[in-house]
Amino acid sequence: MKPVIETSGLTKRYRRVTALNDCTISVPEGRISALVGPNGAGKTTLLRLLAGLAAPTGGRAEVLGRPPRKDPAYLAEIGFLAQEIPLYRRLTAEDHIGIGAHLNPRWDGKLARERLAGLKIPLDRPAGRLSGGQRAQLALALTLAKRPRLLLLDEPLAALDPLARRDFLAALAEAAAGGDLTIVLSSHLIADTERVCDHLILLAESQVQLCADTESLLAQHRILTGPRKDTTGIARTHVIVREDTTARQTTLLARLNGPVIDPAWTVDEPNLEEIVLAYMSADQAGHNAGPAGARLSAVGGGR
Amino acid sequence: MTWVTWRQYRYQGALAAALLAVLAVVLLLTGLHAANAWHSALSGCAKNGTCGSLGGSGLSLSSPTFLTLVVATSAVPLLPGLFWGAPMVASELEAGTHQFAWTQSITRRRWLAVRAAWLLLAAVVLSGIVSAVVTWWSGPDNALNADAFLANHFDITGIVPAGYALFAMALGICAGALLRRTVPALAVTLAGFTGLRALTALWLRPHYLSPVTVYYKLTAPFSPAGSYLGIAQGIIGPHGQTAVPNNGAPSYDGVPIPAACLHAAATPNPQAPVPCLAAHGYHGYLTYQPASRFWAFQGIETGIFVVLAAALLAVAFWVLQRRDA
Amino acid sequence: MIRFRVDGRSGVPPYQQIVQQARQALRMGVLSVGDQLPSVREVVAVTAVNPNTVLKAYRDLEREGLVEARSGQGTFVRGRPPGPPPGTHARLGRTLAGWVREARAAGLDDEAIASLLQLTLQAAAEEDIA
Repeated sequence: MKPVIETSGLTKRYRRVTALNDCTISVPEGRISALVGPNGAGKTTLLRLLAGLAAPTGGRAEVLGRPPRKDPAYLAEIGFLAQEIPLYRRLTAEDHIGIGAHLNPRWDGKLARERLAGLKIPLDRPAGRLSGGQRAQLALALTLAKRPRLLLLDEPLAALDPLARRDFLAALAEAAAGGDLTIVLSSHLIADTERVCDHLILLAESQVQLCADTESLLAQHRILTGPRKDTTGIARTHVIVREDTTARQTTLLARLNGPVIDPAWTVDEPNLEEIVLAYMSADQAGHNAGPAGARLSAVGGGR
Repeated sequence: MTWVTWRQYRYQGALAAALLAVLAVVLLLTGLHAANAWHSALSGCAKNGTCGSLGGSGLSLSSPTFLTLVVATSAVPLLPGLFWGAPMVASELEAGTHQFAWTQSITRRRWLAVRAAWLLLAAVVLSGIVSAVVTWWSGPDNALNADAFLANHFDITGIVPAGYALFAMALGICAGALLRRTVPALAVTLAGFTGLRALTALWLRPHYLSPVTVYYKLTAPFSPAGSYLGIAQGIIGPHGQTAVPNNGAPSYDGVPIPAACLHAAATPNPQAPVPCLAAHGYHGYLTYQPASRFWAFQGIETGIFVVLAAALLAVAFWVLQRRDA
Repeated sequence: MIRFRVDGRSGVPPYQQIVQQARQALRMGVLSVGDQLPSVREVVAVTAVNPNTVLKAYRDLEREGLVEARSGQGTFVRGRPPGPPPGTHARLGRTLAGWVREARAAGLDDEAIASLLQLTLQAAAEEDIA
């Protein structure tokens, strides 16, 4: 099955700044993918390139089988939600639903109204007078009413309190339950998205560090703890992502290419956050270990 | 997209219509009053046979307040450019709502085209109505003072205000698309509009068509009929002597008085040298645009502004499509 | 209708929590044969987990023979996990509640109770092996 998003060497350069460098990712259909990374890593840039709001300076991208374009046929298939939840402050929810109805061929206004009614969001109040959580839910309802095949969300949880965050993620997950919607949502917090996402893209310093199903990541990475010792033996077979050494103890986070034979190592399963943090800090420390280095563009299959 | 434009601009449209109505009513009422005053003055002078000198009699058809108001309507074409044109693209970019608008299933070109079309139409209609009322209002005043062709009057009557409005809107939209911020776009629109208007009114307009120059006898001053646009006037000598900078020598209208007429210059009456100068081949000249060219000039000036507006809109569309959102 | 709870911090993967909760509900009699499990959409709307997680849990339960998916209608309970009937569970639960009250009265906190329980289970397991 063809991936919904496929990029190759995608690059975006401004006059003096490279916002996205040589980005190669692949997102299979039906995934809820977390796009994580520190601020300034290029997450917003990547999403805007995929939405057709900006044009790349290098490389290519294919979304739903074609390059992102500004034509209505493409725009009808995607939904984009920018970080600042842009809505017209003086227009009501009903107005916004009307705008969507007039500008989109496939519009499910009933769905949007049902959603908002379920969340008790008034349809006749100007968007500027709704709370942050309500605005986020309204914007999400509007993007879902388009019936897109791909949803691109830029830090949608950033301005929400924990309850609003839960509601938003639940709404997303419910929308994806149908099976024909692929979602990419960016966040600089992994903990939030861990439950809902089954795919992960890690961007750090404008480059892709990871792009894989979370199941593969969890299956292939282990934390190895042992007395302080030389790690070249491990490094021969497996990929060391991050190495921490104290006077007495060595702790490794490694991507395993087979079983760990040396009994001196205690093997534990890391959670997703630990894996991601290891890749992020490995890159910052400039640490490169193992045959292929700590950088990966795809780990495992999962397709 | 038309519905969307209506939804976003309905309050502004209502406000503009209300203001227009108020202005129109005020002008209609005072205009009627002025017309009455003019007609009674006309019938009065007909009895006395003094109609020829009505212009210099100091007759005032309307209070200075309303005269100022009428002159102030020259700002009307600029207003849509400031309130609708400059923010059209810029405010969407500033608020970030373009990320909503331009990810709906519509091209950016169509998004701008429909909005711009309706608001350009509204701007033209607005300016057109104001200029129609002002033209009607100015009828008596122009007949009295023959000043329809003069800058402050030409600019607010006829069809040029509609052309100005188109230009102001196009300039605002283009500035907004290029600068991406409303306040700088407002400044550019204001400066650009004022600058071009000043340029055309003061320097370009007198020369749209080759002016007419008439030489007349000094003893029978020539004054063209109707509202003409005077460009230059003076004295010219038999050998082409024209006005020179004042060097202390006796002169009439800047032209040095020949030796033969110096005796006339000695008298305190400034008009005394005239018969002598006339006898010695001095003539008066007037370079002007005849009143009959009023509408031709209106058409030319409107054409200039419309062509510029079209060019600016083309730039705006190009920028919108090519630039990152 | 059972309502699943997913604890993000328990260290147990979400799908496994759902499987365990379903099995426990069947043991305790909260779910009986023929009852309908909540739809994937309903579970996801409440717990905010990935729909595939719920699908995986339901597939596991199906493989164990506890539930069956009827196309177009939903997932229904088919059998109970091996073990004593729900009544026994309820009875033992009541006895345990009494013991817990006694332990608390004696001054044990939850942590002490939990480790006492764990030690007892371990000792019992060793006894079985021996």
